[in-house]
Amino acid sequence: MNIIETNDLSLWYGNKQTLFDINMPIKKNSITSIIGPSGCGKSTLIRVFNRMNDLIDGTKISGTVLYDGNNICRPDTDVLALRKRVGMIFQKANPFPMTVRDNITYGPKLHGVKDQKELDEIVESSLRRAALFEEVKDRLNASALSLSGGQQQRLCIARALSIEPEVILMDEPTSALDPIATAKIEELALELKENYTVVTVTHNMQQAGRISDYTGFMYLGRLEEFGKTRDIFESPKSELTERYVSGRFG
Amino acid sequence: MTPEDTVSVSGDIPKNADISGIDVCSHPKRFISRIRIEDRAKLILMAAVVFTVAVLFFIIIFISYNSLDAVKEIGIWEFLTGGTWSPGSGAYGASSLIVGTFLVTGGSILFALPVGLGMAIYINDVASPRVRNILKPACELFAGIPSVVYGFIGLAVMVPFLMDVFPAHLNYGTSWLAGSLLLGIMALPIIISVSQDSLEAVPGSYREASMALGATKWETTRKVVLRSAVSGIAAAVILGIGRALGETMAVMMVTGNSALIPEPLWNIFDMVRTLTASIALEMPEAVHGSLHFSALFMLALILMVIVLLVNTVARRMVRRTKIKMGTEKAADVRRRRLFAPLSESHKEMAKTAAVYALVFAPAFMISSLFIGTYGGIAIGALAAAGLPVSKRISRAIGPNRVQSTVYLMLGITVAAVLAVLAVFLGVIAVNGLPAISPEFIFSPPSNSGLSGGIWPAVIGTIELAAGTALISFPLGVCSGIYLSQYAGDTRLIRLARQAIDSLNGTPSIIFGLFGMSLLVIAFGWGYSLVGGCITLSLMVLPTIIKTTEEAVSAVPKDLTEASAAMGASKWHTVSKVLLPASMGGVITGFILSIGRAIGETAPIMFTAAVAFRTTSSFSLLDPIMALPYHLYYLASEVPGSTANQYGTALVLMMIVIVLFAAASVIRYRYRKKTGW
Ligand SMILES: Nc1ncnc2c1ncn2[C@@H]1O[C@H](COP(=O)(O)OP(=O)(O)O)[C@@H](O)[C@H]1O
Ligand SMILES: [Mg+2]
Repeated sequence: MNIIETNDLSLWYGNKQTLFDINMPIKKNSITSIIGPSGCGKSTLIRVFNRMNDLIDGTKISGTVLYDGNNICRPDTDVLALRKRVGMIFQKANPFPMTVRDNITYGPKLHGVKDQKELDEIVESSLRRAALFEEVKDRLNASALSLSGGQQQRLCIARALSIEPEVILMDEPTSALDPIATAKIEELALELKENYTVVTVTHNMQQAGRISDYTGFMYLGRLEEFGKTRDIFESPKSELTERYVSGRFG
Repeated sequence: MTPEDTVSVSGDIPKNADISGIDVCSHPKRFISRIRIEDRAKLILMAAVVFTVAVLFFIIIFISYNSLDAVKEIGIWEFLTGGTWSPGSGAYGASSLIVGTFLVTGGSILFALPVGLGMAIYINDVASPRVRNILKPACELFAGIPSVVYGFIGLAVMVPFLMDVFPAHLNYGTSWLAGSLLLGIMALPIIISVSQDSLEAVPGSYREASMALGATKWETTRKVVLRSAVSGIAAAVILGIGRALGETMAVMMVTGNSALIPEPLWNIFDMVRTLTASIALEMPEAVHGSLHFSALFMLALILMVIVLLVNTVARRMVRRTKIKMGTEKAADVRRRRLFAPLSESHKEMAKTAAVYALVFAPAFMISSLFIGTYGGIAIGALAAAGLPVSKRISRAIGPNRVQSTVYLMLGITVAAVLAVLAVFLGVIAVNGLPAISPEFIFSPPSNSGLSGGIWPAVIGTIELAAGTALISFPLGVCSGIYLSQYAGDTRLIRLARQAIDSLNGTPSIIFGLFGMSLLVIAFGWGYSLVGGCITLSLMVLPTIIKTTEEAVSAVPKDLTEASAAMGASKWHTVSKVLLPASMGGVITGFILSIGRAIGETAPIMFTAAVAFRTTSSFSLLDPIMALPYHLYYLASEVPGSTANQYGTALVLMMIVIVLFAAASVIRYRYRKKTGW
């Protein structure tokens, strides 16, 4: 079943068209990778899924994006509720300059959880699901900024999980991390797909090959090819995709 | 300062740089003479810094020395705690003055902090770029209006207005309330601009992270941005407090100056008297060498200690919070240990209790003044009960509508403040314009200022500005260059920086007392133009140093490196590359400082300015008339001179506005040209 589905999605920043007629299904409980050279519109595309592009003045959209069957591009969409269901991890880990615990409780408190016990449980379960609990359980009141880069990124994942989203968008989540921290995040992504749907943007083709079920290759704002990851990597239909995945350009 | 950097020119040249083709280095003779210039330049720059630092020490020494008699005869403890201040009957207990100073300042911050912060949030989150581009320079302009003009307007507009609003509570209108409101309005610009800068500096990634979790913009601002900007906002508040503590003219004109502690302590309708006002009011009557004279210096010393303490705490705090933003530091760990025994729920409870107390206390204090203690308790309880109600309401209407409500209220606040300022300016313009004519400007005052014009005061102000510029520009710019380019991070330099910062926070009336004790009395110059110029120069020096240092340091590093790589000596690089490139910033800061000097009253009222002066001959050692002092004199001593008061205020303000406009044009020009 498709949890997200874009139909002829185009997007303009001011007068500059950045996405062209994207048609892309995202299957529930899968990992979908979006690959492509930088500047091709990968971030722009996934930021449509939680309407983060709203923050940029002058963004225009045409086409539809169905989330659970509802078009989320409509102006009357409850954006806050959408973002609660669609979490996001950014390229550079961006924990708040607060304690580890406050980072996790931020979202639940925002959405009305007040009971301390419940909050404590959320802190522990989110950190566990982000495979971080054992490392930080003695430092819950330490500043999040005192964690290592990889830990910070996992903290951001835990923060996103704290409000029980359905989809997790990751925008090049490992591009600022060392190989060991990267491996941990990849492992985590694979675990997460049991319960969540993961859409990840990556620069790194091996990573897409390793973790994703579906892969979309974007080029100059268009979705050049989309399909099962194995097909994209082993028998791409488009010449461009073939050249990109074999590392001959990009 | 290490011996290497005084001598070596080659030290500026990267080791592997190709210098073979550079002509300057192939002439041994010129090479040597260039080193000498280098040395001399550095020495001169350093001397400027040493001079500035020495000023602070001399101020402290002179003020302390002059207060010795009071210390000996009265005793520090008795002076600080004594309840009666009545120099006529020989009673010198300063407690009511100290309390008055804190009350007026505290009240002004209680008012200016929420309003200023709200306006900063509005400018940052809501205002369109175009509105922002109007509001920010407007802030600067309002910061530049002389304190005596604020005092005058306060007296002419605000005090009667307050009397109308609270007829049963205000006998004369002049009151703690009037002082705090006026000081608050004066503190707004700095609070707004510094807080907005720090809101703007919060990384966008924090905002994104919060919005991605489903927070509204307002929730994000409240829960993430404000928390991260806290160090900057604290800096803004403390800067505001430091200024307010040392403010003289505006406060003195509207607080009523009664040396009694309000009864009850929060009775904002009572008159109060501040340290600064006592000094300014009584100094003209105090006989040099008398106990009274010495006691006034003692007040100045107390004021100076308070302001120094406040500013030091501020700097400490800012530094600490800044460190905290980056990583966890010792202070953090200590705090964590302190609160470790508290569970999360206890912490929440403590927080909630604090919030309730914060709502209850002011509501009680204010309402009890009107309807007695029990009524006050009732109103306070009602206000506190409003908290959970408003929480419930906001949950019911949802975050989006909460946001629009909050932004609407912020917008109303901005509009209200702008309206108040517009009234201030409008009243001056409407009443001042008819008073202004060529005769008014070009003729001397007559009939004790009831009629006639302001020509001698205009001339005096121009002379003061010119003299101040002549003295402060070279000193300030040299010091700024030295600190930016030559000073390392040694102990001595840190100390010097601290001294300059302290000098920057020193109340202007302290400079006035220093000028009086050194130039007027010790040097025997009496009131003189040159005395006023020197005093004002010392006052603006730290600002010029700071802006110069900032402007020079803002020049991109590659420019310096390019010049050094071509074999240019350091001084050559500084004088031929850095200075021209940073001239825009330097001159802007300089003009703004002169604008401030022109409007100052407190530093010149004991060193240079007299109410009337008949001869029009020019002598450096003659006393002068000046616009701000003239305005003060007319407003407080010459009833019935209303037209001339407004005329003087308008002329003074126009001069300041012209200077500000010039400064912004220059800044704009240079920014366009250099692009950084
Ligand atoms: N806020 C913006 N305003 C205008 N153009 C933008 C903005 N953000 C991105 N772009 C442009 O949109 C294109 C796609 O950007 P992006 O989605 O970030 O690419 P990718 O993530 O694939 O590197 C780029 O050409 C970029 O310059
Ligand atoms: Mg990107």
